[in-house]
Amino acid sequence: MYTLRHIPDWASLIVRLALADAGAPCTILPLDYDAGDLDSPGYRALNPLGLIPVLETPDGPVFETGAILLWLSERHPGMAPAPHTIARAPFLSWLFFTANTLHPTVMDIAHPERPGGDAATAAVLARVLARYRDQIAHLERVATTAPAWLDPAAPSVLVPYIAVMLRWAVILAPDPATAITPAAAPHLKAILAAYEARPQIAAIAVEEGLGPTPFSAPHV
Amino acid sequence: MYVLHYAPDNASLIVRLALEEAGLPHEVRLVDRRLRQHEGEDYRRLNPAGLIPALETPEGPLSETGAILLWLADRHPEARLAPPIASPDRGQFLRWLFFLSNTAHADLRQIFYPDQYVPQEATGSHHAILATRMRHHFALLNAAAAAHPQLFAAPSALMLYTAALMRWAVLYPRGQARWFRGADYLSLTAAAMALEARPSALAVAEAEGLGEAPFTRPVEPRPPEGAVL
Repeated sequence: MYTLRHIPDWASLIVRLALADAGAPCTILPLDYDAGDLDSPGYRALNPLGLIPVLETPDGPVFETGAILLWLSERHPGMAPAPHTIARAPFLSWLFFTANTLHPTVMDIAHPERPGGDAATAAVLARVLARYRDQIAHLERVATTAPAWLDPAAPSVLVPYIAVMLRWAVILAPDPATAITPAAAPHLKAILAAYEARPQIAAIAVEEGLGPTPFSAPHV
Repeated sequence: MYVLHYAPDNASLIVRLALEEAGLPHEVRLVDRRLRQHEGEDYRRLNPAGLIPALETPEGPLSETGAILLWLADRHPEARLAPPIASPDRGQFLRWLFFLSNTAHADLRQIFYPDQYVPQEATGSHHAILATRMRHHFALLNAAAAAHPQLFAAPSALMLYTAALMRWAVLYPRGQARWFRGADYLSLTAAAMALEARPSALAVAEAEGLGEAPFTRPVEPRPPEGAVL
């Protein structure tokens, strides 16, 4: 049995979606960021750095989105190509790519003042958007080969991870109206459209108020 | 048989240490960065992102340092690069492997290649911001290594990865003010010293011209072939 501390539309959403795909039972405990829940003494006793997400497991807490996703996939069948199968190598390569390249890029889109200070924001944003275009082009080329681990009917943990990244690249952009949408990557967009139509995913989207097409055509 | 596509003192170093630790037969093939071979079509067939390293396996190519380490660890459990999947330590291990990959390594890369991230006039503030972040990351790693020495001790892939980042933090980019001191991270330094005494690390240091104490007292490499940049 698991417990996930959760703030709607934060990175814990990725874990929540993956757990729903796996049908793994989990207690979702909502946290209120604006009320200071992350800094409360009780939460800091559990999670000294106040990190989101953290999944509490019988083996202790697991941190880091990619680590939680992989750890879950090693304990629940169907969430990733199994070790010792041929698809494991590309799956791991793209999981790490998503975690160490795409995810930081999306965070820089959301916070372009962070890498160089306020004065550099516009120039940083131009660079980060160019990197983002490159990165989703790489993923789009993978999507055209239709690997089983991007099949929205039997999604690996990479599908919710990519779905939330492409969503945030739009809704967290300084100007969402001119952001790069999943339409720039049609094969990925089709995967996300099928993914968000899954009943358990649609139910989470309704509960968190993510809109009718939260991943394929996200709106603020 | 594995083929590691490498450049001296690049991220391929971490994978090479793992291959040596595991005693796995492998061939290394130079990617000549002076000829920008990593950006060429042949290399992009192995790794579309054009980043070093790539590892060719009998089952196809792997890219991403963290992915390669984990794949090798699971394929060769006797090498003890990672706790086995069923181990209660697996979650902790994965947490720090991802932290190294997506936070520490990703930020260090920004320090090495500031032009990809910020305009020329912001490189000074960028360096200061990223150096502060990196010191924080190393402090977290140091605390984790102190709390879980077995999890981090070589041959753990966590130490192979961390030691390489410690080396690069001292050496690169050339001509920048130094912001990293191993003495500030005693647990990591002790673990890196233990690593560099191992036959695997000695062999790799010799092969890539990394000097006698490549992780705790790094000096400019003198590779027999290829170029760092």
